[in-house]
Amino acid sequence: MPLEKATALVIRNTDWSETSRISTLWTRELGKVRCLAKGGRRLKSNFESALDLLTACSIVLLRKTSGSLDLLTEAQVLERFTQLRNDLSALYAAYYVAELLGDWTEDYDPHPALFDEALATLRTLGQPGVACGPRLARFELVLLRELGYAPALAQCASCERPVAGSSPPGHGLAFSAAGGGVICSACQGQHGDRRPLTHEAWQALQTLNEAGDGWKSIEDPAVRATVRQVLNDYVTYSMGRRPRLLPYLGS
Amino acid sequence: MPTAILPMDAAPVGAIARLMHELGKLPGIGPKSAERLTHYLLASDVEQVHALADALHAIKDKVHPCRQCFNLTEGDLCKLCADPRRDASTLCVVEQPRDLASIERAGSFRGLYHVLGGRLAPLENVGPENLTIDALLRRVHQGGVKEVIMATNPTLEGDGTALYLSNLLADSGVKITRLARGVPSGSVLEFANNQMLADALEGRRAF
Ligand SMILES: [Zn+2]
Ligand SMILES: [Zn+2]
Repeated sequence: MPLEKATALVIRNTDWSETSRISTLWTRELGKVRCLAKGGRRLKSNFESALDLLTACSIVLLRKTSGSLDLLTEAQVLERFTQLRNDLSALYAAYYVAELLGDWTEDYDPHPALFDEALATLRTLGQPGVACGPRLARFELVLLRELGYAPALAQCASCERPVAGSSPPGHGLAFSAAGGGVICSACQGQHGDRRPLTHEAWQALQTLNEAGDGWKSIEDPAVRATVRQVLNDYVTYSMGRRPRLLPYLGS
Repeated sequence: MPTAILPMDAAPVGAIARLMHELGKLPGIGPKSAERLTHYLLASDVEQVHALADALHAIKDKVHPCRQCFNLTEGDLCKLCADPRRDASTLCVVEQPRDLASIERAGSFRGLYHVLGGRLAPLENVGPENLTIDALLRRVHQGGVKEVIMATNPTLEGDGTALYLSNLLADSGVKITRLARGVPSGSVLEFANNQMLADALEGRRAF
């Protein structure tokens, strides 16, 4: 049975026995793995405190065949996001990152770019001057793209005509989760779940979707609130259920 | 003649098998130990076995949460809440009765406790309504409390719970503190893990 090394983020812990736990780890190399950590509930175990929720650690695991749990043999802390312990909205945003990674990805389906984005998000949330809403929205758009659910933003999700040239700019735009993205004014009759989208909110969604630090420029509270609503609708629709953490999130 | 070991999911048959099955559900008790305990009890005096059975009944029939602090008790108030020598102006907030027991064993705290019954864990659907948070707020707002010590576990969820509570109590006028963390007394730095040392440095205080 092969030993594998990986870089992991702890996204869930379940008590298994008095001293052991099952940890769900989201790894850069292997994707999501669930493994048994014997002695993982003891403070002085060789896992130290590497298995606390949302800790990044380097791990060694023994992969089991035929459906039994993998066995964690080593875990060492790489990075802890201590600022989350001082900011409740950042903490809830971070829990939401863990929920999406844990509940929306398959075992052993790696997405290194998503792993890197998750760690970058956790590093940033709760830092002085960082707005949790736009930072989290940026993470969600990367996740949606990685999992194959990227919403249509530059063109109408229905007729596929570019929406940038509509006149006046952004006039009559809407967003439909079931429709798959932005809907132009001509196509809106077909989409009962549509939500009106201002020109500014539409631009913000595109900025969030682009690589880089564009999310930092989204400051208008009304735009942030619309972005949150649109993503709530779209993530819930695409994932097939309403994430548990949504009621806790600010915009 | 070796006795067959009952698989955990098989329906137990007969009194002996039933006891082995029940004992086997306890933490740290495997099928072998369950079998050994069962045979020990079979060979014991009837008084001893009845005393054990009575004790088992009693923990479920008589023990319930303290009306004030939610520690486990057989009375209306637990013996700590009922003790007039305890300092009612200091409340120590813990997750579970076993955490309270650990602090009591250390023997240096003279105040009262509040047992939350867990920690906030939105990922596991544990919200404020599942803990004794309303009762804690009522205790604090009734007056007489000067300090609330957050002694939740130093995990992310434990710290998050302490943060949530300290936000709720921010306007109450009481002093809010939390346990220090770092290198345990009597240990040596060489054997402290990285996190203990980092915590100890961060929590350093003036001589
Ligand atoms: Zn269209
Ligand atoms: Zn009490």
